[in-house]
Amino acid sequence: MRTVAAILMFALCACDRAPESYPVPEQRRPVEGANPVAGNMLIDMESADAARHIVKDVYENGGSSWRWTSGEPTLKVLVFTTLNVKLTADFSLWDEAFKQTGPLELTFLVNGKTLDHVRYTSPGAKHFEKPVPPDWLPTDVESTIEVKVDKLYVAPQDGAKFGIILSRIGFIQ
Amino acid sequence: MILSLLSVVFGAAFTVVTAWALGALLLRRLSLEFYAWEERLIAFITGSACLSFLVFLLCSVKLARKGVFLALGIAIIAYAFYSGAHHSEARAFPPLSPTWSWVFGIIFLGFALFYLTNAMAPEMSPDGLEYHLGVVAKYRAAHGFTTITTNLHDNLSQGIEMLFLFAFEFGRHSSAALVHFAFWIALALLMQSYGARIGRPAAGAAGALFTALSPLVALDGSVAYIDVAEAAVVFTLFYLLQAWDENKNARLLVPIGILAGFAYAVKYTAGLAVVYAAGFVVWKLWRDRKPALRPALAVCALAAASILPWMIKDWIEVDNPISPFANRVFPNPYVHISQEENWRRFLRTYELTSYSELPLQLTIRGNHVTGFFGPLFLLTPLALLALRSSAGRRLLLAAAIFALPYFGNVGARFLIPVVPFVSLALALVLAEVPWLLLALIGAHAIASMPPVYTKYAVSDGNWILRKVSPKAALRIIPESTYLSRESSEYNVDRMIENLVPPGGRVFSFYAPAESYTTRQIQVSYMAADNEVLADILWTPLFGDYPPTRLLKFQFPERQFRKLRVIQTENVPDQQWAVSELRVFDGGQELPRSSEWSLTASPNPWDVQLAFDNSPATRWRSWQEARPGMYLEVDFGRDRKADSVVVESSGDTTKTKIKLDGLSPDGHWSTISDHPSEIAQHIRVSLRLAASHELKARGVRYLLIDDNDIRAEDFRVYSNLWGIMQVGQFRNKRLYYIQ
Repeated sequence: MRTVAAILMFALCACDRAPESYPVPEQRRPVEGANPVAGNMLIDMESADAARHIVKDVYENGGSSWRWTSGEPTLKVLVFTTLNVKLTADFSLWDEAFKQTGPLELTFLVNGKTLDHVRYTSPGAKHFEKPVPPDWLPTDVESTIEVKVDKLYVAPQDGAKFGIILSRIGFIQ
Repeated sequence: MILSLLSVVFGAAFTVVTAWALGALLLRRLSLEFYAWEERLIAFITGSACLSFLVFLLCSVKLARKGVFLALGIAIIAYAFYSGAHHSEARAFPPLSPTWSWVFGIIFLGFALFYLTNAMAPEMSPDGLEYHLGVVAKYRAAHGFTTITTNLHDNLSQGIEMLFLFAFEFGRHSSAALVHFAFWIALALLMQSYGARIGRPAAGAAGALFTALSPLVALDGSVAYIDVAEAAVVFTLFYLLQAWDENKNARLLVPIGILAGFAYAVKYTAGLAVVYAAGFVVWKLWRDRKPALRPALAVCALAAASILPWMIKDWIEVDNPISPFANRVFPNPYVHISQEENWRRFLRTYELTSYSELPLQLTIRGNHVTGFFGPLFLLTPLALLALRSSAGRRLLLAAAIFALPYFGNVGARFLIPVVPFVSLALALVLAEVPWLLLALIGAHAIASMPPVYTKYAVSDGNWILRKVSPKAALRIIPESTYLSRESSEYNVDRMIENLVPPGGRVFSFYAPAESYTTRQIQVSYMAADNEVLADILWTPLFGDYPPTRLLKFQFPERQFRKLRVIQTENVPDQQWAVSELRVFDGGQELPRSSEWSLTASPNPWDVQLAFDNSPATRWRSWQEARPGMYLEVDFGRDRKADSVVVESSGDTTKTKIKLDGLSPDGHWSTISDHPSEIAQHIRVSLRLAASHELKARGVRYLLIDDNDIRAEDFRVYSNLWGIMQVGQFRNKRLYYIQ
C-alpha cells in the first residue's frame, strides 16, 4: 500500500500543468482571392452536376452544351468568398424566337435582390457580368441566381414556352 | 467456434471466481460469519471491489496483460483453496416453502437462461460499445492507463470496467457482459437472502423477482453496462450494515468501508454510499451511547482507499479529480464549462416536457428515459405502507438516499440502484396477501417478457431487447458474421479499421462505437478539444460563426508593454469569442513576434487561436460572457501602436469590449471602450481553411452521418472542403482530408 501511495504521489509531483501564457503560434496562410477551386462557383450547362444546381425553369440539355430555359430560370450555387465576386452569365437569344418576341428585357437577381435589368435588342450570343455587393452573399449556404425573362417564345407546333439558351451562369472573382 | 465460446465463458468465469476467491479470503481473514448463500454472494461482491483495485494498480504500472491477469487469478484462487476459504461452515437459511421454491426457481431460472443468452451473444449495447468497453479496449491496447483527453466518459470512475478489462483479456466483449450478468444473479440471490435473514423469505423472493425480471434491469444486467453491478454493490452495502446493526461487529466495518468506496468507483452517483454508511454507523452507535467517531472514520478511510485512486488518476490526467464535473472549480483544458452545463441540462430532462411524465415513462413507455421497469412499479406508492415496519423503514430510507442523484440524470438506468429497495419494500407490503403477491409476480413475469413488452412500450427511442440469438451466443454463428449482419456500429468500426491507418484520428459529430476499432475517434461533444474541432468545421457552415465583425480601437500612437482586450458585459446567452486580435501602427500590422506571450481568461489554453491568422479558428470563452474576461498580449518589450482590431463573429453581438494598455512606466489604463464596428467580407475559402486546420492538428478523417447537421455540405461540396469520400456504410460516410 505504501508503495502504491508513493507511486501515486510521485506521479502527482510529475504532473505538468499547462502554462498560463503561450507564445505566438504558427501562422496560417489561407489562400486569398485566387482560390484553386474558384471555378466551382460557375455552373456550366454541359457539366455532369449542373442538374444539382438547378432549382427551376431550366430544361434538360439532351447532351448538348446549352439548355433552354423557361421564364424564370433559377439556380443555386455556393460562394466561398464574398469579396470582388461578380455574377456572370453566357447565353444566347435564338434569332427565330427573337422574331416572335422582339427585344427582351432580362432581370438578374441574386438572393432575391435585383442586380440589374438589361434590355437586349438583338439576337445572338450574349455575356452578362456585374459585381455583386458582398452583403448580398452568404458563404454558409447556397445563393440563388434568378433570371427573369419578360417575354417568352411560344413554339407554334406544341405551344411550349422558351426563354433563353443558357450556356454558363454563376459567380467569378 | 468452440474455442471462441470457451474463451468467452472462461474470461467471465475466471474473473468471477477470482473475485469470489479474494472476497472469501477477506471474509475468512476477518472471521465474519454469514449464512451460507450470503457468504458466497458477499464474498463475490466484496472480492470484486478488491479485484477492481488490484487491476487499477496493474493499470497504473502498465502491467495490464493477459499473462499477469492469469497468474494473479490463479494465485488468488489457488491460495483461497489452499487456505480453505472455499469451505463454508455457515449455517443455511431455513428453506423456502415448496410453493415459493418452485415459483422463484422456475421463473428466475427461465429469465436467467434467456438473459444469459443475451449476455453471451456478441455485444451490441450502445454505451457498452461506445465507452464501457471502449475504454477497456484502449487500456488493453496500452496495457494499462493511458491519458485520454478526448472522451469525457473515459474520465468517470471505472470500478466495474476494471473487472471488464480482466475478463476482456480472455474473452473480449461477451466476457465483460457475462461478468455484469454475474452481478445480476448475485443481486437477485442477495435480495432473496435478505428476505430470509429478516424472516420474510417470501417477500425476499418476490422482491428479487420484481427487480431481476424488470425489463430494464434484466437488459442492463445482461450487457456490458455497470448499473446492475452498482445496484448489487449498494444493496450489499445495505445488507452488511443491517448485519452490523445486529451485533455491532467492528470487523464488518471493513467490507462496509470497502464497498462504500467501491460504490463511488463504480459510479460517481453511488458515492452517496459513503455518506450513507458513515451516517448509519454514527447514528446507530450514537443511539447506543457508544463512541462513533473511530468506527465512522474507519469506514471513511477504507472508502477513501477505493475513491482516492480514481480522483488522483483524474487529477493527474485531466486536472480535475472529479472530471467531467465541477469544471468551474477545477478549470482545465479538457472539458469546457459550457459543455458540462449543456450536458447536465440535457441529463436533467432528456426529452421530457414535464416530470409528470415520469411515472408512465419509467414503468410503461420508456422512450424518453431510455428504458422502463414494467407496469408493476406503478404500485410503488404502496411501498410506503412498509414504513409501518422497521425493515420497511430501513429499505425506504436507503431507497430515498440513493434516489437523491436521480434528478441530476433522469435516465431510467439511474434508478436501478433504488429498485431493489423499492421492490423489497413493496414485496413486504404485498406479502400480507400471499395470493396477491403470487399473482403480481406472475403478471410481472409476463409483462417483462420481450414479446409482451414490445406490445405496450414505445419502441422508438427506447432501449429494449429486440433480438436474442442462441446461435450467436453459442458462436454457432461466428461473432463477426453476426455483428456484420446485425450491428451497423460494428460495420462502421470495421470500415474505420480497414481504411484509417494505425494511429489515425477520426473526427465525428456523432458517437460511434469505439470498442471494435483501435483508431482514435474524437466525438464533437465529448471533450474540449473535440468541441474546438467542431467549431472549426462549423465556421464555414453557420453564418454567425465566421469573423465578419471587425471591432477597431483607434488611438494616438503610444508605447505599450502589454495590451488587454476586456469583455465588459454580462451576457447569459452568448459566449465571448475572438477570431483574431491584430495590433497596428501607422496602418501596418505589427508582425507577431516570438517575443510576444499571449494569455486569456478564462480558457487560456486556446488563446493561440486568436493569434494564428486562420479565419476558421477562434478563441472562445466556452462559458457565458461575463465582465472581466480578457485576452492579453505581452510584447516582451515596449512597442508603439495606434490601433487594435478584434475580429469577431456574429454570435457575439451582445458582448462589449474595451482596450486596456500597460504603459512603459508600469501603469494599466483604459485606452478606449468604444471600438468602431466594420463589416469584414470573407476573402478565402473557409471550408478549405477549416479542413486544413484539422489536418494541421493531425485529424485526417471525418466520419459524417447523413443525419448530422449540414452533412450534405460535406457530401456535395467535398471539393471545396478538400476532402474525399473513401468509405461508406449505409448513411455513415468516411472522408479523407487531402
